[in-house]
Amino acid sequence: MNPNKRLYVVTGKGGVGKTLISLALAKYLKDQGHKVLHNSYDQEAHDRVCSDLEIPTWNSTLEESATIYIARKLGSETVARWVMKTPFFIGLFNMIPGLGYMIYLGHIIDRLRNDPSLTIVVDSPSSGHLLTTFEVPSNFREIFGSGILVQDINKMEQCLSSTSFLKTLIVCLPHQLSLSEGKELSDKLEDRNIKGSELLINDSLSLIPELQKEDLPPFLVEKIKNEKQLLQNLPSIDEMIKIPHFSSLDEKKLILSLQSYIKGLV
Amino acid sequence: MIKAKPIEIFCGTGGVGKTTTASSRAIYLAKKGKKVLLITIDPSQRLKEVFGLNDQMAGNPEKVTHENIGSSTPFEFEAMLMSPSATIARMIKTSSKGELLKNPIIKTLSRPYGGMNEIMAMIEVNQRIKTQKYDTIVLDTPPGKHFIDFLEAAQKINHFFDKSFLDLFKYLGKSFEGSRTQTLSKKLIGSIVTKGVKKLLGYLDKVTGQAFVEEFIDAVSALYQNREYFLEGLELEERLKIQSFSNWFLVTSVDQQKITQAGELKDQAIHFMHYDNYLIINKTLQQQIEQWNPNSELTKSLKESMSYRERKIKEFSKENFSRILEFEEILSDSPTEHVLKLSESWENTSI
Repeated sequence: MNPNKRLYVVTGKGGVGKTLISLALAKYLKDQGHKVLHNSYDQEAHDRVCSDLEIPTWNSTLEESATIYIARKLGSETVARWVMKTPFFIGLFNMIPGLGYMIYLGHIIDRLRNDPSLTIVVDSPSSGHLLTTFEVPSNFREIFGSGILVQDINKMEQCLSSTSFLKTLIVCLPHQLSLSEGKELSDKLEDRNIKGSELLINDSLSLIPELQKEDLPPFLVEKIKNEKQLLQNLPSIDEMIKIPHFSSLDEKKLILSLQSYIKGLV
Repeated sequence: MIKAKPIEIFCGTGGVGKTTTASSRAIYLAKKGKKVLLITIDPSQRLKEVFGLNDQMAGNPEKVTHENIGSSTPFEFEAMLMSPSATIARMIKTSSKGELLKNPIIKTLSRPYGGMNEIMAMIEVNQRIKTQKYDTIVLDTPPGKHFIDFLEAAQKINHFFDKSFLDLFKYLGKSFEGSRTQTLSKKLIGSIVTKGVKKLLGYLDKVTGQAFVEEFIDAVSALYQNREYFLEGLELEERLKIQSFSNWFLVTSVDQQKITQAGELKDQAIHFMHYDNYLIINKTLQQQIEQWNPNSELTKSLKESMSYRERKIKEFSKENFSRILEFEEILSDSPTEHVLKLSESWENTSI
């Protein structure tokens, strides 16, 4: 049995818990018997936690992915290595960071296409830059016009716009700014024909059920009251995945606790 | 009180409150009667929500007054969302401007999410400084790694023109800017240059088709003809390093889950910074947490996890920074109210 999506992209503002949620999701899928890989999208990898929790990972760098891609297109790895070292190409990738991100994304999609039983969970860079990454393919299609690259880009976009292929998870904290940024990202993705992204609320004090009965200091009462008010006003709050604040300080325990909330996604 | 400088940079990883603290600084200085321009380079552009701006206003400074955000103390300043294409359109004054703006490659790349944000921002900021209209320009930068991209943008442009195209333009020499009887691309491909570049263009041709290679060379030569505008960014980079010219604020927040990233950011930015750099610890609740005496298992562990976050970030700060500003968490969920209250915190900062 496959999970219902091939690629899960976890995004949101920095520090909202993207990494832990993506790890929890990968761990959950793996424990369900799926073939899954966790990917950190050219950011810092989490080898220790992953090996402790037996989460299979696959990480590449932008340069590695680009070399592999160029090698395939030109039919020679030696030429590809040479091309990547020319000041011209170094300059090009520096000037247009989106190009490297697009090739990286293409690399991920390629792996998925080559192995129909595989699922990849990506811990993606924060929101604004995810949008750049998803927009780059259509920009370059316009730029290139025709040719092999455009065919590849078309294949890539087909995957990204299929709701049975991709699921984007936008992690938010229960604050006004975080939520409206999440909503805006979801709308902008929709404009780019990437549908069905889902907002998650993470680290919420008001969602710790037993806390309601406790005698709390004024600043916490206020904090919880604000959160509740905010969440009540969200039109889609009932269908959203809502994760409470966990007091545990242990990363591994946190990932394990998160799993039961993530179930609904798969 | 921290002395205002011509440019004040707010940087940090995502979600720590860069936009909020930068906005609060702009309001604070505006209340003091300074002429302030607040620019956001962050593509997520939360500034819109705080001051009621919209995407159509991108690329132009918009006036913000106390009335816009319901403050009783009068103030006025300008706020601007970055728009790379507006910057290109404004900065280039040569006759090749039309050519550059019409080139499909440049057009696509200079869209708001097209990927040239950081580079164009560097140029935009420098041009705003040169107008001498403002006492202080407050910069809200993109998160993390992209902030470093911003800082290094000028060097990248320089490198791009310097090294990558040396080959191409050595060949073209003076005739390059002069006669335009044939299209540049034909000329280039016809009688080309060094072996390496020829080979490279050949590879490009193979995967993209002829039209692209021509447009690409046109784009590059249009950029090259306007290189002096792009290289303006280098001026800004030099200015940022001058102590009397800039203040650096690295923003971190207690609810951020990865404080080590702030340290990495500082390490990468350190050769741009000078002594006037400050660490802002945002959203601290330390005093309230300390005064709280919980009496159940649940609340005790909650207190422990909350104070752990406070402790960790403060240990980190002391190890890495000598000038630390702490801003208490503001328990209000209205972004504007938030910024207004935060602007009062600047009054009490003493280092």
